[in-house]
Amino acid sequence: MSSQTGQPTDAELIKTAAEGDMTPYGKPGEYISGTTPPTGTLTIEDEEFTDTGERLMTLNMGPQHPSTHGVMRLLLKLDGESVVQCDPIIGYLHRGTEKLSEGKRYAQIVPWTDRLDYTAAPLNNLGYVLAVEKLCDVVAPERAQYWRVIMAELARIAAHLVWLGTHALDIGALSMSLYCFREREMIQDIFETFCGARLTTNMMEIGGFSRPIPDGLVEQVRNFLRVFPPRQQEYADILSANPIWLTRTKGVGIISPEAAISYSLTGACLRGSGINYDVRKAEPYCIYDRLDFEVPLGEFGDVYDRYLVRMEEMRQAHKIIQQCIDFVDGNDTPLMNFESPYAIPPHKGVMTTAEDMQRHFIWVIKGFNAPVGEVWQSIEHSKGELGYGIVSDGGPMPYRLRVRTPDYVNLGVLPHIAQGAMLADMVALVGTIDIVLGSVDR
Amino acid sequence: MPDYRTGGRVKEETTVSDGDARQHNDQELAPQSEVEPLAVDYDSLGWGRDLYFDDDLNKHPVIRELGKHFPDDMLDVIRFRNETTIHVTPSRLREIAFFLRDHEHISLNALTDITAVDMLTMRTTPRFDVSVMLYSIPNRVRLRLKAGVDDGEPVPSLVPVWNGANWMERECYDMFGIIFEGHPNLRRILLADDWDEGHPLRKDYPIRGWKEFPSYNKERTVHRTRTRWTGRGV
Repeated sequence: MSSQTGQPTDAELIKTAAEGDMTPYGKPGEYISGTTPPTGTLTIEDEEFTDTGERLMTLNMGPQHPSTHGVMRLLLKLDGESVVQCDPIIGYLHRGTEKLSEGKRYAQIVPWTDRLDYTAAPLNNLGYVLAVEKLCDVVAPERAQYWRVIMAELARIAAHLVWLGTHALDIGALSMSLYCFREREMIQDIFETFCGARLTTNMMEIGGFSRPIPDGLVEQVRNFLRVFPPRQQEYADILSANPIWLTRTKGVGIISPEAAISYSLTGACLRGSGINYDVRKAEPYCIYDRLDFEVPLGEFGDVYDRYLVRMEEMRQAHKIIQQCIDFVDGNDTPLMNFESPYAIPPHKGVMTTAEDMQRHFIWVIKGFNAPVGEVWQSIEHSKGELGYGIVSDGGPMPYRLRVRTPDYVNLGVLPHIAQGAMLADMVALVGTIDIVLGSVDR
Repeated sequence: MPDYRTGGRVKEETTVSDGDARQHNDQELAPQSEVEPLAVDYDSLGWGRDLYFDDDLNKHPVIRELGKHFPDDMLDVIRFRNETTIHVTPSRLREIAFFLRDHEHISLNALTDITAVDMLTMRTTPRFDVSVMLYSIPNRVRLRLKAGVDDGEPVPSLVPVWNGANWMERECYDMFGIIFEGHPNLRRILLADDWDEGHPLRKDYPIRGWKEFPSYNKERTVHRTRTRWTGRGV
């Protein structure tokens, strides 16, 4: 029992759920590998009658429905209150990031990645610069790696807070969104101190950070670390044992481990079904192999387990930042790999010496020619595995940039879990996948 | 052969030339055993994770197994930045995917991504590379399969292997116009259903599209004034 409120902790709740009589993964043998519910076949004019003469209604949910978190449209075929078929229609926010990137130099693409998942822009930046660094064989200095991890984990907490607030708001806990955005404000203040922007941060650079860390930032992060855990415990106290929350989430939207792998799920959707795959542990990037943290796993793969997994991820992110902030506090080692021709030249002498000005000017105007080759870099985004693939033909612009966004792939499981669900549960199912339409539509 | 493929390939047998022999004269004088040195027994290497990253690509477990079971379908192997890419025959792609997914030791059981690259300006034929990114959750290893197809040539769909391939292939069709044979519902997904301008990620598709869009508000409401710097204005 947690000492403050006398309510059971999350770990105890997972245990009680396992001992209860809930069937772990729905009916045995229900999921058959290789079968997929039809998608994209429904139209709003469809009208169908069952054998008993009851009409199956086709309902449009969205694109303006608030619980779709943006502009997604769901076509639902309903038999009374239960969903027979669900067909997500996406693409309303498609901006062609991949095509536009083929006409931009490598350093110019970083701001475009902000707009993919705008709730966690530093994570998008991080994946892209790591892909370019892998292509060009650049290694950022140690201190920059630590700062990258700090900003990435702060962004993870910020994205999870948006998810928690809106997900709880959809299901009925109105005050959660107000609380969550209060803490998210603190993180955005940290981003503002660090790089000047709050939402579209454009924070990471190829080779490290070219500008010094502002004074007082470490203290600001420490202040957040001090404030956050008790407040997160408040959220857990509000939700984790709330009867309404439990009724709406337990046993809803169950994804079996086999289905999770077959649908290529990643992130909390995969780990909620009990499969241990986290890119930070499996293929450590930056300095994650030196850090001490754990990967939470669910047991039943329902909405409630994914909620617990994401809550625990926030605690682990807090633990990671705590370890990193001790390293960077008072550390004056370099932040940028200025020796590399692929990193931006130092800005120091630009206004005083001609050579520095020319080097800087040429780099900014012409960019650099990347090596010929093809790379793939995955990072653990707040929503799953974010992958960037670059094909380079040796020019200053990528020949092809592939962005594999996690929520686009995760959303593909919605027709599977929506079959047989109640109409009122659809908001919980959409919320538990944790989509951001900027990232789905790219 | 285009340049990008020279990143690393299967090592070919090389014979020691005369120049090399002269350089290593000391070794020639040393007494030599008449027994031939043992060739690497690739079958007994096992399935360790380090073999996937070994410099000798023939030790790579996937290449060993594909060489046994699909000897004619492994067209090329590329290693770049510790990533392995295998070019396969497009018509056998699904069988190879099934084989790699269900293999006891390799177990590439997760599909990360399906996409394509338009190789229009990098080589003559085939035009597209369908690129399939696989991941092995037990072994923590990545592998890229590539199938080169021409415009209009079908690729077997991977939906029977992984359900996640459904939307990835729909996007690939949407962006490149690649036909996936056996896909349950190959339709546009990100673009509008009535999009009639072709497939935008092809290299011959201009960034602004083919259509001429009307431009509004052409008349200036605030007139430009002459500036000192440009000399233009009004």
